[in-house]
Amino acid sequence: MAYVALSEAEKTFILHGVEEDFRCDGRSRRDYRPMELETALVSNASGSARLRLANTDILVGIKTEIDVPDPLTPEFGKLEFFVDCSANATPEFEGRGGSDLAQELVLALENAYESPLAFDYRTLCLIPGQQCWKLYIDILILECGGNLHDAVSLAAKAALHNTKLPRVTASLLDAGVTDLIISDNPYDCTRLTIDTVPLLVTVCKIGDYCLVDPSAEEEVCSTVSIVVSVSMRNGEAFLSGSHMTGGGAMHRDTMRNCLDLGLSIGEQLNTVLAKMLKQEEERVGPKRPKTVGFLK
Amino acid sequence: MQTLREFTRKTKRGNILKIVREHYLRDDIGCGSDLCKYCFQNEVYQLTSKHEIASSLFKFPHYLVLDTNVVLDQIDVLEEDVLHNVIVLTTVLNEVKHKSSSIYKRFNEIIHDRTRNFYVFVNEHHKDTYADRDPGETANDRNDRAIRMATKWYDTHLETSQTSKEFERSGRANTRVVLLTDDAGNRAKAEAEGILVASATDYVKSLEEFPLLVDKLSHKTFDNEKQALPQYPAHLSMKQVLEGLRLKKLLQGAFQASRENYLEGSVNVETYEKGILIQGRECLNRAVDGDLVAVELLPESEWSAPSEIVLEEKNVYADDVPSEERAEEEKDMLQQVQQAAAATSAERTPTGRIVGIVRRKWRQYCGILQPSLIEDTNRHIFVPADRKIPRIRIETRQAAKLQNQRIIVTIDTWPRNSRYPLGHFVRSLGPLGDMATENEVILLEHDVPHCKFSEEVLSFLPKMPWSITSEDYAKRVDLRDLFICSVDPPGCTDIDDALHCRELPNGNYEVGVHIADVSHFIRPGNALDQEAAARGTTVYLVGKRIDMVPELLSSNLCSLVGGVERFAFSCIWEVDKEANVINKRFHKSVIKSKRAMTYEEAQVLIDDATQQNEIAKSLRQLNRLAKILKKRRMDNGALVLASPEIRFQVDSETHEPLEVEAKQMRETNSMVEEFMLLANITVAEHIAAEFTECAVLRRHPKPPPTNFDPLVKAARYQGFQVDIESGLVLSHSLDKCVKEDNPYFNTMIRILTTRCMMQAVYFISGSLQKEEFFHYGLAAPIYTHFTSPIRRYSDIMVHRLLAASIGADSTYAQLLERKSNEELCHNLNYRHKMAQYAGRASVGLNTHLFFRGKEEDEEAYVLFVRKNALQVLIPKYGLEGTLYLKTDKEGKDGVERTKSEIIFTFNEEDHTQRCGNVVFHSFDPVTVRLSLDSSNVQHEKLVFRLVKPYIKGFSVEPSADADNPPTKKTKKDVKKKN
Repeated sequence: MAYVALSEAEKTFILHGVEEDFRCDGRSRRDYRPMELETALVSNASGSARLRLANTDILVGIKTEIDVPDPLTPEFGKLEFFVDCSANATPEFEGRGGSDLAQELVLALENAYESPLAFDYRTLCLIPGQQCWKLYIDILILECGGNLHDAVSLAAKAALHNTKLPRVTASLLDAGVTDLIISDNPYDCTRLTIDTVPLLVTVCKIGDYCLVDPSAEEEVCSTVSIVVSVSMRNGEAFLSGSHMTGGGAMHRDTMRNCLDLGLSIGEQLNTVLAKMLKQEEERVGPKRPKTVGFLK
Repeated sequence: MQTLREFTRKTKRGNILKIVREHYLRDDIGCGSDLCKYCFQNEVYQLTSKHEIASSLFKFPHYLVLDTNVVLDQIDVLEEDVLHNVIVLTTVLNEVKHKSSSIYKRFNEIIHDRTRNFYVFVNEHHKDTYADRDPGETANDRNDRAIRMATKWYDTHLETSQTSKEFERSGRANTRVVLLTDDAGNRAKAEAEGILVASATDYVKSLEEFPLLVDKLSHKTFDNEKQALPQYPAHLSMKQVLEGLRLKKLLQGAFQASRENYLEGSVNVETYEKGILIQGRECLNRAVDGDLVAVELLPESEWSAPSEIVLEEKNVYADDVPSEERAEEEKDMLQQVQQAAAATSAERTPTGRIVGIVRRKWRQYCGILQPSLIEDTNRHIFVPADRKIPRIRIETRQAAKLQNQRIIVTIDTWPRNSRYPLGHFVRSLGPLGDMATENEVILLEHDVPHCKFSEEVLSFLPKMPWSITSEDYAKRVDLRDLFICSVDPPGCTDIDDALHCRELPNGNYEVGVHIADVSHFIRPGNALDQEAAARGTTVYLVGKRIDMVPELLSSNLCSLVGGVERFAFSCIWEVDKEANVINKRFHKSVIKSKRAMTYEEAQVLIDDATQQNEIAKSLRQLNRLAKILKKRRMDNGALVLASPEIRFQVDSETHEPLEVEAKQMRETNSMVEEFMLLANITVAEHIAAEFTECAVLRRHPKPPPTNFDPLVKAARYQGFQVDIESGLVLSHSLDKCVKEDNPYFNTMIRILTTRCMMQAVYFISGSLQKEEFFHYGLAAPIYTHFTSPIRRYSDIMVHRLLAASIGADSTYAQLLERKSNEELCHNLNYRHKMAQYAGRASVGLNTHLFFRGKEEDEEAYVLFVRKNALQVLIPKYGLEGTLYLKTDKEGKDGVERTKSEIIFTFNEEDHTQRCGNVVFHSFDPVTVRLSLDSSNVQHEKLVFRLVKPYIKGFSVEPSADADNPPTKKTKKDVKKKN
């Protein structure tokens, strides 16, 4: 994790702020920092999104490919996550510096997306047992401002929403082998449903209190945090995975509180994201956006 | 300004990728008009006010924008030098390129013709005319929209330039832009957007200065077509065809129409050796010779046998509706066939019907217009020269003018309700019977490239005056002192081989074959080389030669003319007295042929014992060695084949044939041939050993035993046993087929044998097993062509390989590449075959001309006995023809006759025709009267009528003053029968 040097006094200041539910930047413990979202900005990718959570900047691109389903799950498509910690974010990521962090993020996402209830892999299947889509979700961390897990998961979900799969029809060949025919119209696409796609919520324990969306400085003060992955089903928040980071330990009751907090925050976050995506969709329209580059 | 084009594409491995291309839009693309004051014109103005077309539809100066469908369908109209000031949009150009490469090429030629003022406007990259595809819009709609956008833009753009005061003062009418499209939907949308628009047909009709242009319009739909009932079953859709092929319900193959019977044809399918037979109009279902079709196999109970009837279509009218009479006639014919098939169930072959067309192979056809019965009609029937092609209906107003001309017509469409395909007139070749016209027809019909060599090709010729440099001497072996001479047919100017022979001190002989070093002049890869490779071979017509390489090379620099120093590629052997090769070597050399002789001159020189000069001596020695070589070859099982070959004496001015003579074979012919064979075989062995993967060789496969069936049968009827086990046995058994009373019998048997043979082909050594290299006719295990590089491209390839192997020349990548060489061989085989056919067609044509106004009784032999005809061969002219016999149906044979009682009965058992007490067997001598039927000026044909044996009411009376009185043999024959 990106290292921020803090003096003892600064840490105490942050600790006291958390205790009084009035954090350094004026937020309460349940508040998120401002977010900015942009989709469909990488034209080469099938789906893309860029999310800026205060100083955390994430770019996600999704590439598609045709693959053969695993024999154990013939009706499932495939997902593959890849996180790249750009050295732009912090000089520490230079070389292999970011690979541990990247690995942790990939694991967290894979863990969250593992359950078919959280992500419906059947929608990615073209011909059971023969052909399916494989989505490569490439995540690029452009800037580290704390709370990477949440930001990454939000961006990934937005990019999935933005993903357009070309419409494919299958035609039967000899001996049961099928051939895929793609539509010649680039606008003739299928979209993914992202209702159940999980979000990660990092609940951070600072002193005796739990808070969400820690800034980079707050992360330094935290002894332990738990990443809760929240999947929405029928308007209810479900837990699809969790893991702990940081060196400290947690009491059972604290953990329960943290999970509850994570679930309720996750639910809120989901609604916010849905709203943002809708706005974004309206802004972009069915045709390609005319703008070029990252600027709105 | 930049935008992106996105599309999805499937890769070969089945992956689906999203591909994004950057697409730059510019604002500096000129409109190309000389009216414009704003655009930056980087080229000479292409759209000028000099050419203004007077159209009654648009009575002001205008530019034209063409829609894709207009270019695709009306290319013949565009090729006429009528339309000017045409804006060609890149959208259209790309669509044309995508849909038809041949039309694209033709269109490009028009564009590059500066005098035509066709301006290519890059609308796809112009910032104001680029149309981004909208969601829910098909690619086609988008292109149509782009075309309309560009038209609209042009119109307004020119408008702004023409509103200036200066322009108004000039008093010129405003130039507008007109869109031509045949798509009704596009037209309607264009009108709604305020664009001037017209269909190609309407526009061409409005050009009052060029009324004849209307003929060239393609008629996808004829106006006021009678809504006749469909005469053919509908074709399956492409999707159904593909589905059927996938499920193996249908078979795919190239359709081959029968030359003899217009209601019959076959489809070559891989899995069926003989192909699938198709009989009857409905089963043929509008397939034209060469089309790739989908066939459905009929149940075995409905299988049929190929009819042996010669059937020509008659009573063809341009305004046809299905006449019952004709339907009846066809039914009869089919019934006859089927009865015959039922009788000989053994010969029944897989039969099918055509249900769909995978790809049309329509091209342009040469032919003539059939005189129409009704005067003043625009509809006419076109009769193609190729009998395999059906008649084509065309509309023309210049029928009277075209009546006696050879014309070219192309097929546009063949709807279900039309008996004949619909086409349009392309151009006229010239008057009928004119030598130049007829030669043009032959060349076109056989796809022989015969246009002049382009400037680019000629630029690669050596600069004249050309001389041999000292550098050249250093690189080559100097053989100028040797007594080298060439022996060729009279009048030959492309001499590519020369010989020498001298005694060595050790008593052996040194024999050299010197071949023109064409590969020295034609360097690989340049335009000259590519042109030669495309042409493949020189084509010889009677009195005309279509060169493979420009004349400077073929008749001058490469030709080994006497007394001049020339470059040669020499193949030199040391042989002992018994013609056994002791060693051999190859090298490039400089030679100076002492004399270029004809076969006759050489023969005289050999025979005249008083001649004791070096040339005569070496020729005698060569002749002696050649005889030994020939004997050795015969003993190995080489076949002596015969095909009737004749030569025409052609009038040098009118190019009309004066005299016909059979080709004479002299000893010297055989002498030259033997040494060429030896050289070819020696080179073949050498290059095959040096280049195991990419040597260009020639093989002659052994024909499958079934090929020999007609020969074996025919010989058996005559009491001879022909053994076909191997070449050697065959050659022996052919020698035994001699009849005392019929000296021509052996030759005829050999002619039949020739027809059983397969075609010899070029191939690449890496593509076949060594055993398959065999040349059956020559009984040589390996063979190639080395000795005629002036007239065959294969020889040039062999020269290059040989030169590379001895280090005389450098190799290049493509020379050693198997794939490209294979493609080359494929083309060479095709060109070779076509050249042969063209040569034969030319001989046939000259025979016709020769018989114009003549009538001759000639000795002939029956070659085949058909169900309703005799196929006869006239040895004197090497001419083969059909003598129609009357069947029990009246008026079905070639010549209309009065009704009579003559009935011929066909015996299936031994293939004979009997009438009364006269029986016709194969090989029987007959006398026929030859005349040219000129009653139909359009379609002259040679008519054969029987003179002897005499059958009352059928044969013609022997004329008293016949040019050739019947010969003895025929008399004897008649006596026997009496």
